[in-house]
Amino acid sequence: MSNATKDPIVRGALAHPDVTRLDDVNRDVLKVLATPGKGWWALFSLASLGLVVFFTSWGWQLYRGIGVTGLNAPVGWGVYITTFVFWVGIAHSGTLISAILFLFRAPWRQAIYRAAEAMTVFAVMTAGLFPLIHVGRLWHAYWLIPYPNSRFLWPNFKSPLVWDVFAITTYFTVSATFFYLGTIPDIAAARDRATGLRKKLYQVISMGWRGTDQQWHHFGKAYIFLAALATPLVLSVHSVVSWDFAVSIVPGWHTTIFAPYFVAGAIYSGVAMVITLVVPIRKVFGLEAYLTTKHFDAMAKLCLLTSMIVGYAYMSEFFMAWYSGEEIERTAFWNRLFGTYWWATWIMLTCNMFVPIMLWFKRVRYSIPALFVISIFVNIGMWFERYVIVVTSLHHEYEPFAWGIYRPSLTEMGILLGSFCWFSFWFLLFTRLLPPIAIQELKEVLPPPMRKQKEAHS
Amino acid sequence: MANIDIPSEVPVRYLPRSRNASTLIGALFFVGLAAFVIRLRQDPDSAWISYVSNWLYFTSISIGGVLFAFVTWITKAKWNWSMRRVSQSFAAFLPISFVLLLPMLLFLREDYFPWIEMMATDAIVQEKAAYLNIPFLVARNLVAVLLLFGMALYFVYHAVRPDMGLTRGADGGDPAREAWRERLTQGWMGQEQEEVNSYKRMTTIAPAFVIVYALVMSIIVYDWVMTLEPHWYSTMIGPWFFMGAFWGGIASTALWSLYLRTQDKEFKNHIGLQQRHDIGKLAFAFSVFWTYLFFGQYLVIWYGKLPWEQAWMVRRSDPESWGPYSLLVIVMCFVIPFAGLLGRKPKMKPKLLAFFTSVIVIGLWLERYGMMAPSLWHEGDPIFTIWQPLIGCMFLGLYLGAVRWFLTTFPAMQIWQPMGDPETIEVELAAAE
Repeated sequence: MSNATKDPIVRGALAHPDVTRLDDVNRDVLKVLATPGKGWWALFSLASLGLVVFFTSWGWQLYRGIGVTGLNAPVGWGVYITTFVFWVGIAHSGTLISAILFLFRAPWRQAIYRAAEAMTVFAVMTAGLFPLIHVGRLWHAYWLIPYPNSRFLWPNFKSPLVWDVFAITTYFTVSATFFYLGTIPDIAAARDRATGLRKKLYQVISMGWRGTDQQWHHFGKAYIFLAALATPLVLSVHSVVSWDFAVSIVPGWHTTIFAPYFVAGAIYSGVAMVITLVVPIRKVFGLEAYLTTKHFDAMAKLCLLTSMIVGYAYMSEFFMAWYSGEEIERTAFWNRLFGTYWWATWIMLTCNMFVPIMLWFKRVRYSIPALFVISIFVNIGMWFERYVIVVTSLHHEYEPFAWGIYRPSLTEMGILLGSFCWFSFWFLLFTRLLPPIAIQELKEVLPPPMRKQKEAHS
Repeated sequence: MANIDIPSEVPVRYLPRSRNASTLIGALFFVGLAAFVIRLRQDPDSAWISYVSNWLYFTSISIGGVLFAFVTWITKAKWNWSMRRVSQSFAAFLPISFVLLLPMLLFLREDYFPWIEMMATDAIVQEKAAYLNIPFLVARNLVAVLLLFGMALYFVYHAVRPDMGLTRGADGGDPAREAWRERLTQGWMGQEQEEVNSYKRMTTIAPAFVIVYALVMSIIVYDWVMTLEPHWYSTMIGPWFFMGAFWGGIASTALWSLYLRTQDKEFKNHIGLQQRHDIGKLAFAFSVFWTYLFFGQYLVIWYGKLPWEQAWMVRRSDPESWGPYSLLVIVMCFVIPFAGLLGRKPKMKPKLLAFFTSVIVIGLWLERYGMMAPSLWHEGDPIFTIWQPLIGCMFLGLYLGAVRWFLTTFPAMQIWQPMGDPETIEVELAAAE
């Protein structure tokens, strides 16, 4: 072993000790695209069923009006905004893993980044629905887009909600482009094996990729440029989302740390979601040799780091609320911990701060079942974090006469549930259509098929 | 993926001793000390403001540099193998920093902390009495700083120790180096065992240090900056301060490394294109990040327009007083480094990189002063006097002296390089257990 490790190129061989030949990569990864098994159909049917729930609920809301939700004064933002922020957050880790870790030269990213990027694109697609749902009158949703309309009315550019439109559409465009660019060589690999209609499709979307030197040269350039451009976007999107809250003066929203705190939380939930998604993929498609415990260990460490940043933000918020000496601030945070919605806050604290403490132990980080369970806790906790921020702050603002309680209605729950199914629907389609592991980057870290190498191995 | 080559035998090189440098450093220190004493008689308040802001700055870049050593250790970075020791060497200033903190805790009272007098009359400040009181202030500062610095020194000790075995006979028979070798190699267990032991201990303490760093630096900035305007508070001030310190540590590491290059051929070879490009990228990225944190705080306060919150910003942006100064900070910390380090060439060319990292380091020095001094400023006072850099000379002398002492006494490039292959180290560790 020590001999092999002297050669830096063999580093990947250590990360994937069971993959020895480049041919294996094509075979193992592309077999995912073959005829789906029963498990996939079961999941796909479930997701489709959920889509029915989703569109029924939304249709009901369109038919009856926004009154079918629990939204009312003072809590005008409820489950919809919570879920919107949740999905925007999920969308973060994809670009973090594919762009930022690429720039930081973290080699473990190559096994998971394809799935993470796909998740990003679909999560933004899910999140993007919520403003449309939330505006109620869907047919007026185009008002969100700034254009000089017939009465020369522009949206208020000082409103963070308008910034959101820009931030999210930019993010979606760049991450979708980045995702697509990275898949081109792999689509070409799939094309060369596919037959029939599928082959036609791959032929079109692989854009004539032949793998020539020149193509690789352009590819490499484009990839690093997009990575550099996408990096500030990872920070900007959720910062803008955080300012939807922080720039107002609602107690519990108005605090300066919100931008980095939201970004860290977004990456945290995103990485947790990657774990949640990748564990079943690995199992179902038999990709154990490609997604090793080392990759999960690295993801777990990323979760641990972001969990601590989020924990720092919680603590500094509570401390500052006390330190401010302002009665309103203090009451808001006291109410958060011990008021009507105490349970939501404690779910948030438990799932986001206390459960991940287990990730300090190497044993836990190397246990995939344990990570899967923890990742689900984190997902729940991060949804509740947004719920806590949105609801507890609004229901208990300045004037006691304007306090109120919010209860999500069945329609809202249907849409929340449906959003997960909408996301899963796309994600399941993705696993059938595109190789879920980046074949080309994987090959870069594997020992090249040279005679010399063979001798060294034997 | 870039391929980093670490030579299998790292040459043993020290920063050459230089009488001229020592004289210069001594002169800086005495000029600074004299300036402080003179200023203390003229205008004690202003003297202490200079003292505290310089303490904040030099402590920031020292501990930030050590943090950089920690972070690259945690992430198993290989590219900075030839600069590790430079980042570690900043720990030499930490004991001095601790000593310099003591007078601040002992002598600064009503003249410095406005909340002491406000406590009698101001209802809001009275609400904060549990935090804002002298015994707790002194206690938490002592404990926090001792803990943070202690952990940093522990890490650096373990980083240096295995080198002591590898430099036996290669240090030019220098008595000071020999004496330190004796001191550091007590209970020597043999080279291989020492390396495994150091690796284990450094790896264990590193994540804990990062947490302690964030908490302690927050306490420092709360106590020495935020509470100077007792009605003002901002949750961002902690991250802004400690990420700025981290950035300062990175920029200073770059500067010192570039200085080493001029001193010896081996340094020149090994602090190569890859190292300069990478540290240049980090200096650039953190400039953007600094601006992000600064702007994230500014925007929320500007938009919220709450009187007690915006007072802090208004004070610093008044075109009649601090506005131009704040603008200068933004130019030095964002505009120049951003525009300058954006391209690839300036990161790689030693002179350009040295220029832009110097701008960053000076910009941060101005920033630390601009963070705290306006809070204690009164109408009619000068914004910035020559005394500020003059008193800074005392700190600069001590900092330069400490780091130089470290780099002349211990090998300036770390000789044992466990990160050459983290995978094998893990295998070895598993076998050793």
